[in-house]
Amino acid sequence: MSESSDGGLESLADFGERARAWIEENLPPAGDESVSDHDLQATIFDAGFAGIAFPKAYGGAGLTLEHQKVFFDTAESMVRRVPAGYMVSIGMLGPTLLDHASETLKLRHLPRILRGDEEWMQLLSEPSGGSDMAGALTRLTRDGDTYVLNGSKMWSTGAARADYGLCLARTDWDAPKHRGLSTIAVPLKDTPGLTIDPIRSVSGLPGHFCTEFFDSIVLPAENLVGDENAGWAVAQALLYYERLATANAGHGYGLGMGGANEAGFGGRGVRVLIDAARDRNAFDAGAIRQEIAEAYIERTVARFAGDRVMTGQRTGHYKGQWGSLLKLHLGADSPRQAKIGLSIHGADGVIWDGDEQVVGNAGELWLNARGISIAGGSNEMQRNIVSERLLGLPREPSFDRDIPFNEVLRNRANFKT
Amino acid sequence: MNLELTEDQEFFRDTTRRFLESEAPLTTVRALWDTTDGLERDWWSKAAELGWATLFVPEEHGGGSLSGHPVEDAVIVAEEMGRAAAPGPFLPVNVVCAALAAEGSADLQAEWFPGLLAGDTIATWAFAERGGTWDADGVALRAEPADDHIVLDGEKAYVEAAGVADLFLVTARTGADLTQVLVPAAADGVRVTRGRSIDLVRRYGSVEFDGVRVPRSSVVGEVGGAAGAVERQLEIALALQCAETVGAADRVFEFTIEYAQDRYAFGRPIASFQALKHRIADMLVWLEFSKSIADAAARAVDHGEDAARLVSVAKAYVGDRCLDLIDDCVQINGGIGVTWEHDIHIYSRRAAVNRAVYGSPEEHKERLCALLDV
Repeated sequence: MSESSDGGLESLADFGERARAWIEENLPPAGDESVSDHDLQATIFDAGFAGIAFPKAYGGAGLTLEHQKVFFDTAESMVRRVPAGYMVSIGMLGPTLLDHASETLKLRHLPRILRGDEEWMQLLSEPSGGSDMAGALTRLTRDGDTYVLNGSKMWSTGAARADYGLCLARTDWDAPKHRGLSTIAVPLKDTPGLTIDPIRSVSGLPGHFCTEFFDSIVLPAENLVGDENAGWAVAQALLYYERLATANAGHGYGLGMGGANEAGFGGRGVRVLIDAARDRNAFDAGAIRQEIAEAYIERTVARFAGDRVMTGQRTGHYKGQWGSLLKLHLGADSPRQAKIGLSIHGADGVIWDGDEQVVGNAGELWLNARGISIAGGSNEMQRNIVSERLLGLPREPSFDRDIPFNEVLRNRANFKT
Repeated sequence: MNLELTEDQEFFRDTTRRFLESEAPLTTVRALWDTTDGLERDWWSKAAELGWATLFVPEEHGGGSLSGHPVEDAVIVAEEMGRAAAPGPFLPVNVVCAALAAEGSADLQAEWFPGLLAGDTIATWAFAERGGTWDADGVALRAEPADDHIVLDGEKAYVEAAGVADLFLVTARTGADLTQVLVPAAADGVRVTRGRSIDLVRRYGSVEFDGVRVPRSSVVGEVGGAAGAVERQLEIALALQCAETVGAADRVFEFTIEYAQDRYAFGRPIASFQALKHRIADMLVWLEFSKSIADAAARAVDHGEDAARLVSVAKAYVGDRCLDLIDDCVQINGGIGVTWEHDIHIYSRRAAVNRAVYGSPEEHKERLCALLDV
């Protein structure tokens, strides 16, 4: 059904009509939690609306990112619920595997990923470094038909519930840092030698982030994604898709929103602020009115900027890591939005009656808002990417690019200016 | 800065850019600073030959849109004018043409379109009043029907191109309602006080209407029925103005990035310093986001969906971010950036005037709150 009679792609209008009719019958209202995310995703997959821009051979619909946008925009306009938990697995890992994994891995895993039957996540940052990801110290050693993995990863979102992690590890310690890395799929359920510890987040609760320890985990060689020592390109692809998905663009469009677009035109976050201000009679304060408008403006403009980047990537005007531009805005704007929440809620945002912790108040949201400024590459890393890769400005001078990784400085004692 | 221009629109953009490069280079803009009007009438007639006044005008009067979406067409010129900091009453002429096309009687259209399209007649919108707001509430000038005439009393301020205008579209109050009237500059009782702005070539003025009597047939639309038209004119003006400001910021960003790569200090191009690269990255966010919302606003005005909200979002965002961008580029250009000799101030001037006219970002945030029922 995704092809018209002349063999071309289904038009956006026809697809939109088909999607609308299906959504009408099959998706629950936003806020209706009576079915699980997984069941909902399976329903969407079985109807041919999952992985809309993935090839049919891997379980996708064989259409385009614009069709995907139409599907999720339609669901949003009809105030229907879509799964909110597959941004990482489908929006980030999915396209990375599509670009770099072997045919065997793609045929085996992509349909499961798109149906939500299998969840994947990334194992990139380490306790010793997040921004300097190519400085990874986790060790991957070939042993016949297998690889052996030793080391640890950190800040890995969703590791405690995922089925597979795509892990960046060092296979050659004599090569310069970027040229001795490989990526490999690591099963995360009941894997001998694997320990996963959730990190307690700033809210005091176990967070979505985890630390993983690998103690001589044995992996089949076919789990390698991309060639040995060519893992940096795979990690770069993963980061590329992450930044687009985080900013609700690319393959991640619509996947993190749960049917009410947070970043959207007058998005949910801003509506919450407006309602709160109304309840508190804070509207008369001109400064607060200006801030509410500011919050609304930033989110509204961000949505059109996301559309623009997607259009530009399709037309060829924008090549490369434009997701970083969107991610930079989001990382800078989220703490600002949270601070406006503090302005509006005043003392009630940070003080309450009773002995129970309240997690959703303005104070806790503010404490958490910095996460997005750091996760997926800090604002500072995005600024480097935007200035160097998008604008072509000179790279930072570096001390570690072209020397064997063994000789790279890792502590203060030997540093000389 | 629409990424999906039609072939006709691309051709229009290219001819517009070439015309401005050859007929209004910055040396010309600087020379016009020394003139009273900041404009040569012949020049405007040449610009009109390129179709600058035709976009909102129906085909039977010799006009026509390139794409069927006149605002999306017109912002192409506005962007190029921003890039060139160009002279010319492009915005007010087109606002008046749009009003005349939408609301004007057949007689008014037949009387005024030929001159407007040829560039022989310059029209402008007399809307705001001194110290007032850039909305209907700010309109106090009276338009009273008297027999088969309308009598106007009051004063308009910040009227673009007032000194060269042949025709004013005056937004006035009749009772509690709004009325719009076309008034020739030569009518008895019209007194223009020429003024200047910090822009090198964009002149404004005050216009006094002292018991001005015009025939009732000069009313555009219905007496007391102009509220919708006024909002529409404001939306068109804001869409064009935002596009122009974005064009100015785009050009400034371009030459500043070039300079930062050419200028060496401490043995390195200054563009290699992270302190500057990070600021430049933030600027690219502002610039690309400004382009996104300016385009979205233009589209919305054409399609009549969410236009009121989106033009205010656009003005609030573009008005501030593009000004900040240009200002930060002054810093990157260093000492030469605060000299008369350097071109950047020409753009700073345009951006600062645009920020204020048709409502400041602060006013539009307030308007947005009202629209959002806050």
